[in-house]
Amino acid sequence: MSNLTKQSAKKNDAADIVLQWVTFKLQEETYGINVMQVQEVLRYTEIAPVPGSPDYVLGIINLRGNVVTVIDTRSRFGLEPAEVTDNTRIVIIEAEKQVIGILVDSVAEVVYLKSSEIDTAPNVGTDESARFIQGVSNRDGELLILVDLNKLLSDDEWEEIRSI
Amino acid sequence: MSNLIASQKVMQHYLSALLTEEEQSETVTLAEQKKQQLNALLSQAVVTEPAAKIAVKADVAADSAALAALKAKFARAEQAQQLQQRDIPVAERLAPAAPALATPPVKAAPKDYRQGRFQALFFDVAGLKVAVPLKELGGIHQLGKINSLIGKPDWFKGVMLYREQKINAVDTARWVMPEKYDQSLQQSLNYQYVIMLGNSDWGLCCEALVNTYVLEQDDVKWREAEGKRPWMAGLIKKHMCVLVDVDAMIDLLNRGLDISA
Repeated sequence: MSNLTKQSAKKNDAADIVLQWVTFKLQEETYGINVMQVQEVLRYTEIAPVPGSPDYVLGIINLRGNVVTVIDTRSRFGLEPAEVTDNTRIVIIEAEKQVIGILVDSVAEVVYLKSSEIDTAPNVGTDESARFIQGVSNRDGELLILVDLNKLLSDDEWEEIRSI
Repeated sequence: MSNLIASQKVMQHYLSALLTEEEQSETVTLAEQKKQQLNALLSQAVVTEPAAKIAVKADVAADSAALAALKAKFARAEQAQQLQQRDIPVAERLAPAAPALATPPVKAAPKDYRQGRFQALFFDVAGLKVAVPLKELGGIHQLGKINSLIGKPDWFKGVMLYREQKINAVDTARWVMPEKYDQSLQQSLNYQYVIMLGNSDWGLCCEALVNTYVLEQDDVKWREAEGKRPWMAGLIKKHMCVLVDVDAMIDLLNRGLDISA
C-alpha cells in the first residue's frame, strides 16, 4: 500500500467515529440511545402519578432526594401499554438539559457502532413519532433503531416537564 | 405442500427467464442499436488536442512550484473539511435534508418493456393478482422477520434485513386496497414473499407467486392518461390484472403516498 493510500485510509478511519449505544427493548423491537445521555438504569419502582400531567407522563419517582419525571415511552412511540415485569427498567437520561426517566420493557446491552454502520430510516413517516428515529443499523442480523432522545418531546413538552 | 411446489416452480421459471437471453435477442432495443452506431462513429474520430490545452500544459510545467502550493492548499482544505465532518453529530448528519413530500414526482422515462414481447411475474395478494415486468423486478425474497418502525404509515410493514440490505416491506394489500382493508382481511393475510421493486429498497409483500408469462404489447391495455393512477402501467386483458409501473410506484412510496395519490 502506498503512503498516500495509507494516509487516506487512516483519515477515513478517523472520520468513522465509534459511538456507544445503550440498547433496550420495546414490544419485540430493539432501540438504541446514546450512552452519553444515559445516567443510570433502575429497576422498576413505584411511580407516583401527577394529577393533571400530560398523557405521556407516567408520574414521578424519588431518585436519591431528587424528583424525576418518568415518561411513558410506549405511549410516546404509539405502542400498546404493557404489564410491568421483572425486566422492566427505568432508564434515567439527560436530554435538553433535563433529567428524566423513560420506562422500557428491558435493557439489553451497550453496543459499539461506527457512524458508517448507521443508515437513515426511510423518510416516509408523517406521524410525529417518526422524528424520534435518528437512524437504523444492522447489528448481527438484527435491526437496531437509534432514538434521538432530544426529539422525544417537543420544545413545549420539554418546557411542560420542567414545570412538573 | 402443492402451493410450495407451485411457488418453487415459479421461482425456477423466473430465475431461468432471467438467465435466458432468448427473449431479449428478439427484441434488441433501439438504445443498443444507437449505442453501436455511436461507437462506430467514435472509432472513426481523430482525437486532436486543443491548442489552448497545450498552452495550459506548458504553463503548468513551467510553474511546478505553484502547482505544489495548490496541492498543499487542497490537502489542507480537505483535512479541514474532514475535521468539520467529525464534529457534526450523527443526528445532524442523518437528518433528512428536506421533507420527502417536497420532492417533485419523477417524470416517466421510456420503458424497456414498451417494445416487443416482454415477460411479467404474476403474484397474488388477498385474492388480487398483480403483475410486474421482469425487467423491473429487483428480486424475490422469502419473507423474514419484519422490524416495525414507529411513526410510519400503516402500509409500511417495516424493515426486513436481508444480508447487508435493509428492505422496506410494504403491506401490499393495505397499499393497494386501503378501503377494503379491515381486521378480518388483516388476519387472513399470509404473506410469504417480498417482491423487490427495481434497484430500490422497496419490496411488496405477497402471499403467493402465480407464474411468469410472456406478454405481447397488445395483451395490455396501456394507461394513457398522465397523472391518473401513476403506479399502474396498464391492465393485462387476458388475466384481468394490473401491470405495475415500478418506477412510478417507487416514487410514490418514497413520497410516503399510497394508491389514493
